[in-house]
Amino acid sequence: MHSFFLLLSTFIIAYLLFSSLSYLGLFAIAFRKVKNENNLVHRESTEVLLKNQNTYPVSILVPAYNEEVGVVSTVRSLLALDYPQKEIIVIDDGSKDMTSEQMIKEFKMAHIPFAFRTHIPTAEIIAIYQSSIFPYVRLIKKANGGKADALNAGINLSSFPYFCAIDGDSILENDGLIKTMKPIIESDGQVIVTGGSVRIANGSTISRSKVEVIDLPRHPVVIMQIVEYFRAFLIGRLALSRLNILLIVSGAFGVFNKERVIQAGGYNKNTVGEDMELVVRLHRLLREEKSKQRIEYVPDPVCWTEAPESLDVLKSQRIRWQRGLFETLWTHRKMMFNPKYGAVGMFSMPYFLFIELLGAVFEFLGYFIIFGGFFFSLVDPNIALVMFIVTILYGSFISALAVLLEELTLHKYPKVSHLMRLYFWALTEAFWYRPLMVIWRIQGIFAAFRKKAHWGDMKRKGIST
Amino acid sequence: MNIYFFWVLIAFLFLGQLILLLALSLRKLLINKKEQTISQQYDMLSESFSSYMMDPTDNGFIEEISLASDQTIVLERLLNHYVAVSKGSVNSPQVAQLTEKYLTERYKKQLQRNNWAIRMNTLYFIEDFHMKSLTPLLKEKLHKSLRLDRETQQLIRTLTSLNEPMTLSVLARYVDAPFRLYIDVLKRLELNIQLEELDAALKNEQNNKVLKYAAVSYIGMTGLLEFLPRIEEELLSDDEELRIQALKCIQHLQYISSPSLLTPFFHSTSWQERMFATRIVGKLQLSRYQEVLSELLGDSVWWVRYSSAEALTQFADGDILLSHLSENHPDRFARDMATQWEASLLGSEE
Repeated sequence: MHSFFLLLSTFIIAYLLFSSLSYLGLFAIAFRKVKNENNLVHRESTEVLLKNQNTYPVSILVPAYNEEVGVVSTVRSLLALDYPQKEIIVIDDGSKDMTSEQMIKEFKMAHIPFAFRTHIPTAEIIAIYQSSIFPYVRLIKKANGGKADALNAGINLSSFPYFCAIDGDSILENDGLIKTMKPIIESDGQVIVTGGSVRIANGSTISRSKVEVIDLPRHPVVIMQIVEYFRAFLIGRLALSRLNILLIVSGAFGVFNKERVIQAGGYNKNTVGEDMELVVRLHRLLREEKSKQRIEYVPDPVCWTEAPESLDVLKSQRIRWQRGLFETLWTHRKMMFNPKYGAVGMFSMPYFLFIELLGAVFEFLGYFIIFGGFFFSLVDPNIALVMFIVTILYGSFISALAVLLEELTLHKYPKVSHLMRLYFWALTEAFWYRPLMVIWRIQGIFAAFRKKAHWGDMKRKGIST
Repeated sequence: MNIYFFWVLIAFLFLGQLILLLALSLRKLLINKKEQTISQQYDMLSESFSSYMMDPTDNGFIEEISLASDQTIVLERLLNHYVAVSKGSVNSPQVAQLTEKYLTERYKKQLQRNNWAIRMNTLYFIEDFHMKSLTPLLKEKLHKSLRLDRETQQLIRTLTSLNEPMTLSVLARYVDAPFRLYIDVLKRLELNIQLEELDAALKNEQNNKVLKYAAVSYIGMTGLLEFLPRIEEELLSDDEELRIQALKCIQHLQYISSPSLLTPFFHSTSWQERMFATRIVGKLQLSRYQEVLSELLGDSVWWVRYSSAEALTQFADGDILLSHLSENHPDRFARDMATQWEASLLGSEE
């Protein structure tokens, strides 16, 4: 029995070390690009595109479910976007609150008949409204069908060749859309999807879709999410994007080539991870066609979103994310270790399976061995101690390093105290935040077996003033 | 590997990070302090800078900037703001004098730096400040570049803005040179050179299709009506992309010498041609084609139906026509489209 635990603990130590090193490896790939791009401050990098008639028009889709608090400010921030030609489509997916009423009242909307195309079948469309102040602002009122269904309805109604999907609680910076469209325009359409960095707005002051003051929130749970976002965006996504094997574009904000999405069949209604699933499906399509088109990530922070402050909401969010990851990997299991799908099948999919999905299971076993070692003598206490140290290394140090790297590259938080606070909380991760995540992520895997598509409910306070 | 290895590892990592944290904190402190100093100097010098730009004999600014500790950064920011807000700043002798005196040497060094972003920013500033004295250096750099990457593209833009039309022939060397880059280059040329180059591009002397498409597109963008007869000639071209660009151009120019030139496009096999033809009919309110628009309202392609209905809204009697078509068009999709646009007209009157 002892030798079994010894073998298991050696395996877990090796896994956790490998996992930490893989993060560092990905960072090494991404670091130079983040640093260089961030120093590029000149306004002209996007100014030329704003005046060019050949800049593609974009349909902005805002799926909304019970978003009465934030939907108007989100649409206002979208109206303020610097972009030559756009239309804004809010899709009220059977909200039980006043989401539609707020939109109709605020933008003086009138019911219109609309000849939209049913590229993708969706739940029943109840009514379509158009603003009499801004004719390019529309509202679709439809029967509840989930976020994916709402986005599909938006795709059907949209007029333009590219669409941008943005969450109803997010605020896009004025130049956010043009920055995100830039890789698409500059590649003459060879880039078919771009995802921008999403930042947590809690604590910062946002007014008229402009971040006036960047500050840290008081709540440690939110600070830890900020650190997590640094790690995910700075380390993971950019590196995967550079290798053209990025499997996730944040659901909060991404731009897509509509024709490609329709070809792929639109958003999948049967998963809660519809954003990731669509990107994987697009990769699959590209690889099967042997296309050279790409999916890219834009490191500039362009979109601000409200992070959950309560553990209950955070828990349901993480369970949903993990479940979405599981469902996506399962749906596309054919791609796993399949050389036909190139680096996506051989590297990216296994990475998401072993590091992002099963990492929680291995970590859980690690905690089990630590406690077992200390309290029940399941393993040598020395082994348990090594395990403990490696767990800290795995979680806290990687997070702390992400904070330091953010400071070295983007340095968006202005005060020295911000740096200290972020660093301090990052170091505490292994003692409270990470165990919670591990448990929720494991719950997420179980939740994948109990299918029921739903929106991520969250009590909003609103992030813009 | 024993336990001590891990203890040493954790101690090493912890200490390493602690040192890094302290170093970054100190760096942040110094950067914040420097930024504060620069802002103070910027605010202090703003007034005398404005006076100098309006009246160069008032040279108090020259004395003050010579004493400023961060003179190049402050001057760069002041000039950057000035060229962004004032018209005709490109030919300002004061800008030329200040950049020559304080920034030329700095930019020469920066163009050789390893940091890509610094080199790119420098290229942007050289373009903004119109620093002609750096032309030979930029030409040399362009000569050495082997790939049409983002830096070479900006180098081409910057050099063109310094009145170097040779960039067009450099660009022609790259078979994959993007359409938008040709437009960026054409846009930066001085008017007389620009007209010559557009003329040459339309003649297609260099056998460069992309340049020709860009020239046609650019003529539409800038409304250069004198090229209209040449554009109309392109409507007869065998090259579909060229015909589409020509139609797009006419749509922007909002003029056509003989509307009958559009007739073949209403039944073209290319839906883009049908779409642009309907758009032109709407923009130019060519009532003789109203019936064609009614017919194309039932086209098999959504975009053609959409543009036809939109075109009908441009006519004075568009609402009556759309109302009639929304009830009587034989095609169901055409009726839906007409209903939608009829409603949008009502909305705009409210």
